[in-house]
Amino acid sequence: MTDDTNEKPRARARPKEEFNFFQDQRVRSAFYQILTAGIFAWLVWYLISNTAHNLEVRGMNTGFGFVNSSAGFDTDFKLIDYTPGVGTYGRIFVIGVLNTLLVSFFAIILSTILGFFIGVLRLSNNWLVSKVALAYVEIFRNVPLLVQIVFWYIGVFSLLPSVKKTLDLTFGTEMLMLNNRGLYMATPILGNLFWLTPLALVFAIAGVIFLRRRAHKIQDQAGVRPNTFLPSLALLLLFPGTAFLATGMPLSWDMPTLQGFNFVGGTSVPPSFLALLVALSIYHAAQIAEAVRAGILSVNTGQSEAALSIGLKPYRVMSMVVIPQAMPAIVPPMISNWMNTVKNSSLGIAIGYSEVVSLFMQTALNQAGYAVEMVGMTMAFYMFVSLTISFFLNIYNKRVQLVER
Amino acid sequence: MAIIKAEKTTARPAPLFETSVIGWLHKNLFSSAFNTLLTGFMLYIIYLTVSGVFVWGFADATYVAKNRRECYDNSLTGACWAGVIHWLDNIFYGRYPRDQIWRINFGGLLLVLWMAPLWMSRVKGKVLVGATVVVFYPFIAGYLFSGGDKGLFMQFTIAGAIVAFAINMANMITGQTKNLGLNVFLIQMLGQTKATDNAQRNILLLLTALAFGAAFVWQMGWTVEGITWTKWGGLFLTLVISGIGIASSLPGGIILALGRRSKLTVIRVLCVGFIEVFRSVPLITVLFMATTMFPLFMPEGFVLNKLAQVIIAVILFNACYMAETVRAGLQAIPKGQYEGAHTIGLGYWKMMGLIIMPQALKHMIPNIVGSFIGLLKDTTLVSIIGLFDILGMLRSISKDMPWIGLHKEPLVFGAILFFILCFSMSKYSRHLEVKLSAGERH
Amino acid sequence: MSNEQTQGKLASAISSEVMIEVNNMNKWYGAFHVLKDIDLTVHKGERIVVCGPSGSGKSTLIRCINALEEHQEGDVIVDGIKLGKNLKNLDHIRTEVGMVFQNFNLFPHMTILENLILGPIWVRKMSKAEAIETAMMYLERVKIPEQADKYPGQMSGGQQQRVAIARSLCMNPKIMLFDEPTSALDPEMIKEVLDVMVELAGTGMTMIVVTHEMGFAKTIADRVIFMDEGDIVEQNKPAEFFENPQHERTKLFLSQIL
Repeated sequence: MTDDTNEKPRARARPKEEFNFFQDQRVRSAFYQILTAGIFAWLVWYLISNTAHNLEVRGMNTGFGFVNSSAGFDTDFKLIDYTPGVGTYGRIFVIGVLNTLLVSFFAIILSTILGFFIGVLRLSNNWLVSKVALAYVEIFRNVPLLVQIVFWYIGVFSLLPSVKKTLDLTFGTEMLMLNNRGLYMATPILGNLFWLTPLALVFAIAGVIFLRRRAHKIQDQAGVRPNTFLPSLALLLLFPGTAFLATGMPLSWDMPTLQGFNFVGGTSVPPSFLALLVALSIYHAAQIAEAVRAGILSVNTGQSEAALSIGLKPYRVMSMVVIPQAMPAIVPPMISNWMNTVKNSSLGIAIGYSEVVSLFMQTALNQAGYAVEMVGMTMAFYMFVSLTISFFLNIYNKRVQLVER
Repeated sequence: MAIIKAEKTTARPAPLFETSVIGWLHKNLFSSAFNTLLTGFMLYIIYLTVSGVFVWGFADATYVAKNRRECYDNSLTGACWAGVIHWLDNIFYGRYPRDQIWRINFGGLLLVLWMAPLWMSRVKGKVLVGATVVVFYPFIAGYLFSGGDKGLFMQFTIAGAIVAFAINMANMITGQTKNLGLNVFLIQMLGQTKATDNAQRNILLLLTALAFGAAFVWQMGWTVEGITWTKWGGLFLTLVISGIGIASSLPGGIILALGRRSKLTVIRVLCVGFIEVFRSVPLITVLFMATTMFPLFMPEGFVLNKLAQVIIAVILFNACYMAETVRAGLQAIPKGQYEGAHTIGLGYWKMMGLIIMPQALKHMIPNIVGSFIGLLKDTTLVSIIGLFDILGMLRSISKDMPWIGLHKEPLVFGAILFFILCFSMSKYSRHLEVKLSAGERH
Repeated sequence: MSNEQTQGKLASAISSEVMIEVNNMNKWYGAFHVLKDIDLTVHKGERIVVCGPSGSGKSTLIRCINALEEHQEGDVIVDGIKLGKNLKNLDHIRTEVGMVFQNFNLFPHMTILENLILGPIWVRKMSKAEAIETAMMYLERVKIPEQADKYPGQMSGGQQQRVAIARSLCMNPKIMLFDEPTSALDPEMIKEVLDVMVELAGTGMTMIVVTHEMGFAKTIADRVIFMDEGDIVEQNKPAEFFENPQHERTKLFLSQIL
């Protein structure tokens, strides 16, 4: 046999592909997509034409011009200035958005703290404590949130004393007062040199960070870690404290005082806000507790055993080995829970809290029509919040991925 | 040198500490000074709460009274359950005429019987049973609950439902008693086991057609009184909305999930967009959108009543969450399944229907039950837009003349009712999860 | 003993100091009597292999020695310290007794180097430079110094187990316990881990190894212990243990695995 292994194999022409038009994958794929797009487009056109026709028949208006026209009604709770008859619908929308964000913000903070606490209690080795925490979670998860909100509003906050018998929550200083019209708080009036105090606090925080870095360096070099807790605490208290005293305590208060039948001065939040805040916090704390528990349990027990076996104390086992591995399992459900808190704030409509849905969609709708635009604006607000939160969540998820083959 | 233990040591009972109640108490409640304090504190709190609730809810409560004043005359510190008891019919059935409530109960019983074979291990063809429930039950239940004149379409579907139900029950009986499917049983009865498959199929079809004809004729002979949907309310309405919501959102969710995984860009973008929109807005905005915008979308003269608007909104909303459940179920199927189906030449739809979906559904069932529980709770939102579901009914009690101002007792009753329903369902769903994954090897 | 066997066998390094003393120890899991009347004395430098069918209590025994499990009756005295409820004693024991697990239990969110220096820095209070030096030395001994900056998820099972051994060694323990160290490994990786363990034995470390690898036992063990249903049934020098088992149950077990 001739040895022709040294010759390069002769290149052959590429075999011609058979092109069958109807069987070709690309043709089919394009066809289905065009078909779907076509059906979708027709559907949208159909809905739009119906809507336009119906709006005309009913004499309702369209367009976003209403945003600048004045609204003739008032809301009972607002964070920015607004005068009925002068303020615009646009302003009403902003008020609603601010009210939504206000209650959601505080509910998220409270529910996260409470949720972590209860989640850890669920894992306690005291049987009674873990069962009580279990009861909490099961009760508040299985009763609908709306029922809980209404219950807190009607069952609790309407039982608050009347204005004449206002409860002073701060033992006589009258800075925090509770009655059935709301919670009244004294607002601080900042004096001339007050800005020095927060500045001192910033310096104190910088000092704490510096102390911790120094402790870390010393540990790297000598193995012993100096105590940072007490010095940090001292810094945080003494710096701003000294600044405050040195500038002559430039802080006075706008106290809520009873004039006639109502309180004047200070700031206040209505009972509907309080009820909504409490209900949202308790309900979502139960959800977060479950996420925390599931996250900690998802860490293999072998991890804590190995950490104990090299002599780490239980506190360090938790903070250095278990919690860092539990966080990627806890954070995503917790963040989606925060999103749900924002969405659930819309239930304030059932108890008269003027968040964006009740203020804009319901009240304004009844006043002026403009159904499509108002619904669209409200839904756009929620979509914006949701997209922002998922964006940050994705960044977090990418950063904590365990490196694997 | 060997050291050996000649005799096997017999196992001795554990020290009292380990096994007895005292040992358990020590380990779990009193293991340290701190723990003992904690236990004491907890016991105190539990005592305060439970005794307070007990006194209010049981010891001092009034159960029989004609109005709120009588309750107060009886006891000032106790709950006035009399109001709730008076309204019990409304809470469960809404304002349905009392003499027609049997229709609701009958419908519920029908559903239970229809679905019963799903739990019996010896019954064959469970998938078909599930399919007939989803396809036929809504029609016959819908007619039972609303009544009135039957159009031709309605008559066909009712007859179909009757036949399907009868076949289902007969199949259940043959399964339990003879461990055979109904089709096999009938063929045997008629002595046609030797006939060809085609012949057998034709015989069965003929029997079904005869049964259908009989059912059709029979149902022509009766109607039930028409009752408008405005009288539907209470727990009945809640179950109708959530039941239809879940059943109808499942096919929608499957389509959306498949669309989301599609390689065709247009379809994928549309599905993703749809899902993300509805998942990022609260349900109440969707309900408002439905009640304000649906009338605008409809061509002139076509009116959709409020209940239908709400149900459609719930289906749209829930389909997006269901799509996520389906997606998770599909992701749990190993890639090898798709490849295996490919190598035996199955096209896309056949592969999905015969291989992938049946396996994925098994993974999805606990999540579907969870969705149903969530939907049950979310249905309370319809009380905000003026439908009288169970929460709406409960809140009306305080506006009823004899019971003005009675707020707490109805809400507590509602909370307890929901708790019992949802808690038992979620326990069942966890049980299902364990049972379904027990059969898998990891 | 044949020539082959004496050639493979390590020289004994037993001293007279007693490292571990177990007296009449009994343990129950709930109502189940899992360790029955255990008596065991381990001298410094001694190398013990524990074998037996699953459920015999062998893993439970060594987990009692480093206080991962509690015993209800009897004494366990490690390095002169009696194990009980005293937390300070427990911490001391854990620094002196190293443990290697069947599923390695490396910390997946830290690099190999970070896994190794964690204990020395936070428990032995070494400086970071010193800890890294020690860690790299042990990584070289287990023959994977170049993997120091990788994550556990990027390594094979055999490599991970060798790192786990190095991690325990970085604490300079007096005793090393091994709980079925090769049972979760693919066959081709078992040898690399056993080689590390043989080398460790050669340095005079006191070791207790729970394993099914009988060739390994023949090479390094000073004593082989057979456990069954919570009893220590038979203990002997490896040569006599394998060639001349005395008890019925030992014979049955050996016939099944050899």
